[in-house]
Amino acid sequence: MQYGMVIDLKKCMGCQTCSTACKLANNLPAGTWWNRVLTVGGEQIDTARGSYPNAEIHHLPVACQHCANPACVKVCPVGATFKDKDTGIVRQDYDKCIGCRMCMSACPYTGVRSFNWEEPKFAVGFSIGEEESPAHQKHTVEKCTLCVGRIAKGQKPKCVEACAGRARFFGDFDDPDSEVSKLVRDRESMQLLPEMGTNPSVHYLV
Amino acid sequence: MSENAQAAQAAKAPAAKFGGRGINIGIIVAAVVTVIGLVLWGVQLSGGLVQTGMRNLDSWGLYITSFMFLVGLSAGGLIISSVPRAFGMKGFGGISKVAVWTSICCTVLAIGFVVIDLGQPLRLWELFAYSNLGSPLMWDIIVLSTYLILSIVYLWATVRFENGKGSEKALRVISVIALVTAVLVHSVTAWIFGLQQAHEFWHTALLAPWFVSSALVCGVALVLVVIIALRRAGYMELAQENVVKMVKLLGAFVCVDLYFFACDLLTSAFPGGSGTEVVNMLVAGPLAPFFWIEVVGCAITAVIAFVPRLRTNPLIVVGALLAIAGIFCKRVQLLVGGFQLPNLDYPGAMTSYTVTDTSGTLASAYQGMVYWPTPIEFGVVLGVFGLGVLLLLLGFKYLPLKPTERSH
Repeated sequence: MQYGMVIDLKKCMGCQTCSTACKLANNLPAGTWWNRVLTVGGEQIDTARGSYPNAEIHHLPVACQHCANPACVKVCPVGATFKDKDTGIVRQDYDKCIGCRMCMSACPYTGVRSFNWEEPKFAVGFSIGEEESPAHQKHTVEKCTLCVGRIAKGQKPKCVEACAGRARFFGDFDDPDSEVSKLVRDRESMQLLPEMGTNPSVHYLV
Repeated sequence: MSENAQAAQAAKAPAAKFGGRGINIGIIVAAVVTVIGLVLWGVQLSGGLVQTGMRNLDSWGLYITSFMFLVGLSAGGLIISSVPRAFGMKGFGGISKVAVWTSICCTVLAIGFVVIDLGQPLRLWELFAYSNLGSPLMWDIIVLSTYLILSIVYLWATVRFENGKGSEKALRVISVIALVTAVLVHSVTAWIFGLQQAHEFWHTALLAPWFVSSALVCGVALVLVVIIALRRAGYMELAQENVVKMVKLLGAFVCVDLYFFACDLLTSAFPGGSGTEVVNMLVAGPLAPFFWIEVVGCAITAVIAFVPRLRTNPLIVVGALLAIAGIFCKRVQLLVGGFQLPNLDYPGAMTSYTVTDTSGTLASAYQGMVYWPTPIEFGVVLGVFGLGVLLLLLGFKYLPLKPTERSH
């Protein structure tokens, strides 16, 4: 089984609902974003490149790519970053992580892994989000879990559920009849940085 | 840098008789610096690594730079003393034990630099309980600790042999094993970086041999500085011809290292694709000062080494220090250069954890060097170097490192 995601870039409008839903569902500390919608355009977020009538702007939501051949898993000296055999999800064990940040350096997808550089601080004084989401720990690396707890309950990842443009799809790439497999078969799609040989389980419809 | 400190402190001792007040003052100063470093490390751990300049997009910094540098520095001593022994050649005039001692101290410091970089040093035991033997970092931990133990065994066996115990054959076998481990330790350290396809600057097969050559450059240079200082301080006698032999060796190593650099730059730049960015970053970009200090410094070292008239003691020390500084600059280029060219450079949510400089846009954070250390990092690093000087001086004071008739 290889769970993953399809994101339709033609539908994505850069509203950041996925980023915010992720932050709430996983009770992310202040300053931490597991899912970010990047702007392909100007130097600033949500600005275009060029000027009218040739201005150009796209959005690119990026989180952990849950690669079939993950660079991070190979380099972790203690196996705190591991690929879950049952689901194909690349996971992170906060209790095991020694904070060496080898995985952050090895991951080609700049910025999807984040480190808790200090004792996590939160916007509100109580825990929010999914009950299964483990507590965040100072000096450990974390990243998108594909909402593994929600999946176990038969739900979709929060970003998929919340996407206002219905641009996100979740499913099993090993199942040829799944919605995601069909989308990738029927429509033109791409993976991020295919030259890295990581074979991401996030496919973008273009 | 520590080399200066070592030289200066060793020189404080009276010239006629080594030891006495000079070395004791040196030991006390080094111990105080070490304690200050430990305190700062405690501050870093309790307040968090947020106090350093490292962030999510530049997740390693001065600590890992210094780790690379110290692994390199540890090479010279062991190789200089084990090569003549292993191949049955004439040595460098009895400096063997002093050289190996500098190696041992540098290896301890290299391990120290990895430890201070960790977020969870109390979980270090997991390295042995849950070892992922596929991780280059794990390889390095295994090889580095083997190297440390072997160096100590080699030093012990040398002392025993010089006291008339143990066979020369046994010593020779140990020296061969130590030599192989020394080459491995640099290769494995290179593979921590070189096996990552994520960073174009690092991902090259040349990195391992290049690390070996850089290690030879700064390692031999360090031994040169230490033995000239020790001779000056009256610790040992050493014929100038041995110094000259080592300087020529240093010159050769510097040329090999520069040659590797030239090969790497040409291979990156020639296709005119993304590799050009790497070359521009080094030659004219944010890392240019470090690039040019290395190239010019090493070139001067080579000139000093190869022109007989220039091989005077002060110039030899200048050349050796330039080589050491040059290799340190190379380590900075490698480390920061790896993070300086992000694979995904599109702007997104930027927080105080994203990059070191969050005052502007993502693009402006990459205008200068993407990473620059904070004062606490300099302080902790100084503390680790203090520990090195402390170990070095304690060794000179209490260990039987002086040359004897049977020394190599």
